[in-house]
Amino acid sequence: MINTKHVINFNPENCVGCKMCYKACFIDVISWDEENKKPVFKYVSECEHCNYCEVSCKRGCIEVIPDFASQKFRQSFDIYR
Amino acid sequence: MKQFDIKEINEQADIIVVGGGIAGLTAAVAAKEKNPDADVLIVEKQTTGFGGKANKGGGVLQYFDLEHMTPEDFVQYHAHSVGCYLGDQNVMKKYVAMNNEMLDRMDGWGVEIPKKRIPTGPMTYMVGIDLNVTVNMRKTATKLGVRIIDKVTICDFLTNGDTIQGAVGYSIVDGTFYTFKAKAFVLATGSQDYKFAPMWSNGRGDGIAAAYRAGAQLRNVEFGNFSQLYKKNTFQEDVFCDNSMYNALGQNVTKNFRRFPEADVSATALREWYEQMSQGKGPITVHVKMRDEEGLTKIWDRPYGMPFWKADIGKAAGKDPEFEMVPGFVGEMSPIRVNENMETSLKGFYAAGDVSYAGSAAPGAVPAPPGRNRGSGILNAVFAGIVSGENAAEYIKGAADPTIDDAKVKELKDAAYAPIYREEGVLPEEVIGNVQDILCPVENSIYMSESRLNIALKKLAKAKEKVAKLKADDFHQMLYAHEAESMVLCAELFLRAALLRKESRGWFLREDYPMMDNENWLDWIIVTNKNGEMNFDKERVPIETYDVQPPKFN
Repeated sequence: MINTKHVINFNPENCVGCKMCYKACFIDVISWDEENKKPVFKYVSECEHCNYCEVSCKRGCIEVIPDFASQKFRQSFDIYR
Repeated sequence: MKQFDIKEINEQADIIVVGGGIAGLTAAVAAKEKNPDADVLIVEKQTTGFGGKANKGGGVLQYFDLEHMTPEDFVQYHAHSVGCYLGDQNVMKKYVAMNNEMLDRMDGWGVEIPKKRIPTGPMTYMVGIDLNVTVNMRKTATKLGVRIIDKVTICDFLTNGDTIQGAVGYSIVDGTFYTFKAKAFVLATGSQDYKFAPMWSNGRGDGIAAAYRAGAQLRNVEFGNFSQLYKKNTFQEDVFCDNSMYNALGQNVTKNFRRFPEADVSATALREWYEQMSQGKGPITVHVKMRDEEGLTKIWDRPYGMPFWKADIGKAAGKDPEFEMVPGFVGEMSPIRVNENMETSLKGFYAAGDVSYAGSAAPGAVPAPPGRNRGSGILNAVFAGIVSGENAAEYIKGAADPTIDDAKVKELKDAAYAPIYREEGVLPEEVIGNVQDILCPVENSIYMSESRLNIALKKLAKAKEKVAKLKADDFHQMLYAHEAESMVLCAELFLRAALLRKESRGWFLREDYPMMDNENWLDWIIVTNKNGEMNFDKERVPIETYDVQPPKFN
């Protein structure tokens, strides 16, 4: 998945800076702001919505909202219909 | 001209493990257990214990029922039904025989494996294990004294003749340049994933490309084409959907390619999809009630995976009311050639897990795990991790201190950093998109023909021209550029080897050569980098020395 339009909602109020979301991201979509001890969702268009940042956050600060329509299948199905 | 303040760090260890997923962590732990004095370092491009594939997909572990079967029984089944005689049956037998030892050792490393046993296929069980499998193994490795460097990618290896000496890499956070020296390296960077259909692997072929450039031989590159059916609107995979496929005329089309129960996922299902669609009988849908009655609900016992499944399945719920299925290409090339000790063709250079699954030849005519056995990736990685780690620990006792050539280091550094200094150029996603457009259609990568493969290679040549123009705005994107370059290399390896194999065998299907040809093609295709050129050789499978022979084979 490239150039997707998935959305990652983040609520900084409940975040305690445990860094689990940053570690959980297997493709570095999430960077870490050392000064403020907060995640930075920097490369969201590369997100593959594995949901591990959301699942790993014990404080429920993160919600991944997949935009399924932005995923391209790259096979022209219509020529077969 | 862009300016960057690039710091430099030199690191040395006895054994360097590249990749901190389950294979790499197992190799590091096994090496330490075998040789506690060895200095073992893991270098991982993301975060060790979090980046690998073991817990993606809910942490599914397939293992063997050695109370009711023998390793010979499984090899017999596998050679006939899955590997199609292209496998190294001795390695497969050794792997199955180690089943109970591996489960016990995993337990000792802090991995929780439920005791409930659910049969899922001939001679196999499947359980959902703790999603913290690799996180707990990281803790075990750290306790044993294994050092870890995260967010650093290794992009090239250094050799002296045919012996490994070192590697170079960089931090994807701040661009710090690393030079590594070690007596032994274990490559555990996973199989190749084209970042298309979700399988949540971040192995883009960068480890494969680095090993290939350093001179390590590759085997079975034409089995780098894992694909499966996904729900059309949401990219959700659908386990066991192959067993209940219907066309628009209401006909059960599974019957056309599957007459008796067999390993779950198969290339023939994708071929059937293509044939039905091109005859105007599409779309292909899954008969949900039939699928559930026949399989899915029986294996659904994954207590640790619930948070993951709830998020993954919950968000897609109701968005595919028609249950239309379409093919999604993953890739999963795993071609680093290793012997029974998991040593590559370079001395002191080992490879473990999904990076060398097909390259070990153990599984035969299938792509990397899941291949045709869902959940088999974890135990395969543990097997190869133990073997490679223990052999590396032994090897370093007699190995000379590594030496590296500073001029070569500079040459490799200049090449690696070229994208970040380029003012104008092509972005990595453009090249990745080109490769996806070439490989994703079923008729180009699963159900192939000479003419279509040649056209695909022509298109790939255009994408390859862009590699020298790749640009990056930061070090995260520099990794992305190297991943794009590696995808182009892997795509070329796959397409060129696929053209050579003029037969159909196991997962590998050619429309123009539909039959298995044991007379001419009981051969492995071996690829070697000779002065920058891909050199393809055929090597006969020593089938006479194995337990299981093809029918009517003399």
